[in-house]
Amino acid sequence: MTQPASFTFSLTSPTARYGPRLGKIALRRPGSTVDLQIPTPGLLTATSRGVVPHLSRDHHRLTDAIRWVNIPFETFLEHNPPVPTLQPGQNPLHTFLGFPPGKHLLSISARDPYDGREMPPNGKSHVSVYCLRGVRKLSPTDWSSYVLSCQPDVVFALSDIPFTDPPYSQKRLTKSIERSATWLSTILRSETRQNVFVQMAGGTCLPARKAFSDSLLERLDGPEADAIKPLTTLDEGVRGYTFDLVPLRQCLETQAKTSHTLSHHEIVPLIKTSLDPLSEQKIRLINSTESPHEILHYISHVGIDIFDARWAQRAADIGVALDFAFPVRSTGAQKDIGHCLYDTQYTLDFSPLADSFRGALSQGSTSPICPCAACSPVVPATRIYHGADTPVVLGEEPRKEAGTIYRPHVSRAYIHHLLHTHEMSAHALLVMHNLAVLDAFFAGVRKLISDAPERWEAEVLKFSEEYDESVTVFHQARASWREVELARGKGRLAREKEKKDAEGLATAA
Amino acid sequence: MQFEVIARCHTTRARVSRMTLAHGTTVLPTFMPVATQAAIKGLTSQQMESLGVTLILNNTYHLNLRPGLKVLAEAGGAHKFQGWDRNLLTDSGGFQLVSLSKFTTITEEGALFASPFTGEPTMLTPEESISIQHTIGADIIMQLDDVVSSLTTGTRVEEAMKRSVRWLDRCIVQHKKAGRQDTQNLFAIVQGGLDPNLRDQCLDAMIERQDGVAGYAIGGLSGGEEKDIFWRIIKQCADKLPEERPRYSMGIGFAEDLLVCVALGVDMADCVFPTRTARFGVALTHDGPLNLKLSKHARDFRTLDEKCPCPTCSDKTSRAMLHHIVTHETSGAHALTLHNVIFQAQVMGQAREAIIAGTFPEYLRSFFARYFGESGYPEWCVNALRSVGVDLLEGDPDGKIIPGSGVRWDYAQGS
Repeated sequence: MTQPASFTFSLTSPTARYGPRLGKIALRRPGSTVDLQIPTPGLLTATSRGVVPHLSRDHHRLTDAIRWVNIPFETFLEHNPPVPTLQPGQNPLHTFLGFPPGKHLLSISARDPYDGREMPPNGKSHVSVYCLRGVRKLSPTDWSSYVLSCQPDVVFALSDIPFTDPPYSQKRLTKSIERSATWLSTILRSETRQNVFVQMAGGTCLPARKAFSDSLLERLDGPEADAIKPLTTLDEGVRGYTFDLVPLRQCLETQAKTSHTLSHHEIVPLIKTSLDPLSEQKIRLINSTESPHEILHYISHVGIDIFDARWAQRAADIGVALDFAFPVRSTGAQKDIGHCLYDTQYTLDFSPLADSFRGALSQGSTSPICPCAACSPVVPATRIYHGADTPVVLGEEPRKEAGTIYRPHVSRAYIHHLLHTHEMSAHALLVMHNLAVLDAFFAGVRKLISDAPERWEAEVLKFSEEYDESVTVFHQARASWREVELARGKGRLAREKEKKDAEGLATAA
Repeated sequence: MQFEVIARCHTTRARVSRMTLAHGTTVLPTFMPVATQAAIKGLTSQQMESLGVTLILNNTYHLNLRPGLKVLAEAGGAHKFQGWDRNLLTDSGGFQLVSLSKFTTITEEGALFASPFTGEPTMLTPEESISIQHTIGADIIMQLDDVVSSLTTGTRVEEAMKRSVRWLDRCIVQHKKAGRQDTQNLFAIVQGGLDPNLRDQCLDAMIERQDGVAGYAIGGLSGGEEKDIFWRIIKQCADKLPEERPRYSMGIGFAEDLLVCVALGVDMADCVFPTRTARFGVALTHDGPLNLKLSKHARDFRTLDEKCPCPTCSDKTSRAMLHHIVTHETSGAHALTLHNVIFQAQVMGQAREAIIAGTFPEYLRSFFARYFGESGYPEWCVNALRSVGVDLLEGDPDGKIIPGSGVRWDYAQGS
C-alpha cells in the first residue's frame, strides 16, 4: 500500500490564538527529498468535474498561482466504481486529472463546497451527493476506499452537513455532529494514515459547534479507541480544520440575522467557538468567501490560512478582470475590485487587464508585473514540428535567446470583443489573470504580516476604503453575461441595436 | 510574397513549397485552422504558436461587424489585436453574406444585403471588401466573388462566374491603388460551379490576370455536391493553374479530402470542421474519429493516439478523462481542439515529408489503409487518386470500396 505524502504545517510567525498569522505547508511524497511548499495565507484553486474551469493542462501549468487544487469527487460517482479509482500507476488521481505531483497538492472533498442546492437528507450512513445523473448516496466506507485507490494528498472527511431546507432542529444538529464524528473516525481507521481535514460541524448553533470540537478532543475507549489505534483522540488524526461558508450563510439568512454580504461578521464567532478548544498549530481552511474584503476579515479576526479562489475564478466566467492589490499602492476615489469587460467603455481600451499591474512589456507604468498569460504572454520555448517545417527549411534563424521572451499584453478591448462574440478564449485568459491577481494579493498579505505586522489594521482599513466592498461590479457583470447568453442566435445584432437605441432615448428623455 | 516550389512528387501532382509573407514563412501544403472572430475557439495565440501553426484564417464578415474596423484600425490591425505574430488570411466576406443572410441580392455594383444591425440595405462592393481587408491587415486577402451554392444550375452559375472575373479586376485596381502589394497578397477565386466549361473559361480569364494576383483559390465547392464531381473540378483547376502560384482549396477539412486535394496539386485548405467537431467531443485520429461522448470510452485509460505530439496526448490525457469532461467543461473542448489542430497539421506535415522523400504514394496508401481499412475505401478517393497514378488497392487486393462520401464516424456500437 502506497503511503500518502507527508503533510506538515508550521506557523512561522509567533502569534496569538486569533489574528493574522504566517505559515508554511510542506508536502513530501514517499521516496522524494524535495518538499512541495505552499506559504500561507494562500489560495486553493477550485475545480469542476476535475478540471480548473476553462484551463487546458498547458494553461494550468503556466499559472503558478495554482498549487493546492481541490477536487469535488461527486461528479465521478456517475460511474460505479468511480473511474479515477481504476486509474493504474503511481499518483492515480494526479495522473488521471493531469496535475504534476511535483507541482500540485490535490485534495478531494465529497461535495462541491460551493454548491448550496437543496438536497435529499443524509442518512445514518450516507451523504447525499449530486452528479449529472442525479443524487447518489455516498457511504463513509466507500469514501475511505475511494481515497485509498485515488491517493489524494489531502482528504476532507465526510461530514453530515444538512442541505435540506433550514432551519435545523436541535435534534438534527445533534445527529449532524455525532455522524460527522463517526464518519471522521471511519476515515482515520484507514490502513494508511491519510492527511485528513475535518469540517467543523454544528451549524449556526454555538453549543453544537463547541460540542463537536469537544468530541474531537475526547479520549476514546473501548472499540472506538481500538478502531483508530494508535490515535487516542480523533483530533490527533486531523491535519486541519475546515469551514464551508455556504451552509452557514444559508442558515443565517433563514434566521434573518444578517444580509448576505455582511454575514462574515456573524460567522467569525461561529468559527472561533469551534476553534477555541483546539490547537492553534493546525491549519485552518475556509471555502466560499466572496471578496478580498471578506478574506481580510477572516485573516484579521480568526487567522485563516487557506481560502478557496472560487469567487475569483467565477469572476472570470462572467467577464470580470480583477484589479486590486494589498497593501493598497495608490489612493484615490473608491474603485471596483475589477473591470466588467462586457462594458462598452472597454471597446477601444488597449491597456492591460489591470491598473494595479502591468504586462511584462508594458511601458510607462511602475506597477508590479502581472505574471499571467494575458498580461505577460510568453513566446513558447518550443514548438511542435510536423514535417519539413523546421527553421532550416523555413530559412529562419533558430531561436538564440535562452531566457523568457515576452509578447505584448492582451488588451481589454480584445477580451471585450471575445466576450461579446461568446469566444471561450476570453474566459481562459481571465481565469489565469484573476488567479494571478489573487495570488499577488496573498503575497502582499504575507509580506505585510512578516515585515510590518503593526501596520496590519491600518492597511486593512485603507483597503476597504479604496475598494468597493459591495462588489457591484460582479452584479453588473452577471447581468451582462446573461444578456450575451440570451441574445445569441440569428438577429442578435439587430436586437442589441434596438435595445441600445431604446436606452439612448431613455437617457435623453 | 515569395513562393518557391522545393519538391515535387514523382507520381502525383503534389508539391512542397515555401511561401514567405510579411509574418514569416509557411511551408505548403498546409491546413489553415479558422479563427472566425479573431480567436481559435478557446485557445490563445501563444498556444497556436506552440502547436507549430504558422497560418490561420480570420473571417472578414465577422470582424467587420465585431469588433468593427474602428477598433481594428486603432489596434493596428488584426495581428496586433489578437496577438498573432504569424501569417493570417482573410476571406472577402462574400461567402457569409450568402450563407448567413437571407436577403442578399447581387448586383453588378456589389452585394446588397440587409445590415444585421439596422436591417437597412447596405452594399458591399469589391472595392470595399478589399479596403476592409486592408484595415484588417491579413497577409493574404481574397477577392470578393459572386458565390452561388455548388448545387445551383443554369445561367446563374455562368453569370456568377463572369461577374467574379469582373470583380477580380476591380479588386486588383483597388489593391494596387492602396499600394499594399508589398505587405498584403491578393488571391483570385476560381468559380464556375460544377460545369467544366465554365471552370475553364474562368481559369483562362483569371490566369490572364496573373500579374495582379499572388495566388488562386478554388471556390464554389464543398457545398454538398457529389464527391466524384468535387475532385474532378479540383483536378481540372489545379492542373491548369500556374505552377508559380499557390493554390488554395476553400472549405476543405476532412483528412481524406485534404490528401486527395494535395495529390491533385492543392497547396492550402481551410475548414472549421476540426475545431468544431472538437467542441462536440470528437477527436480525429489516424484510425478514424473518436466520439468521446460515447460511454464505450468511459473506462478507457489509453490516450487518443500514442504517437500524437499534441499537448493532450503527450500529457497522456486518457479517453476516460476526456469522456468525463467533453461537452460539459470548456477545457474538454480545448483539449480536443489542441489535438485536432495537431492532427490536421500532422497529416499535412507527413505529406510534405513524404513528397520530399519521394514516398508520397506509399504515404497515401498507408494513411488510407489505416483510416478506412476496416470500413472500406470511399470510391471517389480511389478514383481521384487513380487519376494521378496512385492505386489505393495496390497491395490490398481485398480492400473494400464503398460508394458515396464514405466519411468515417465513431458509432456507439462496434468500431
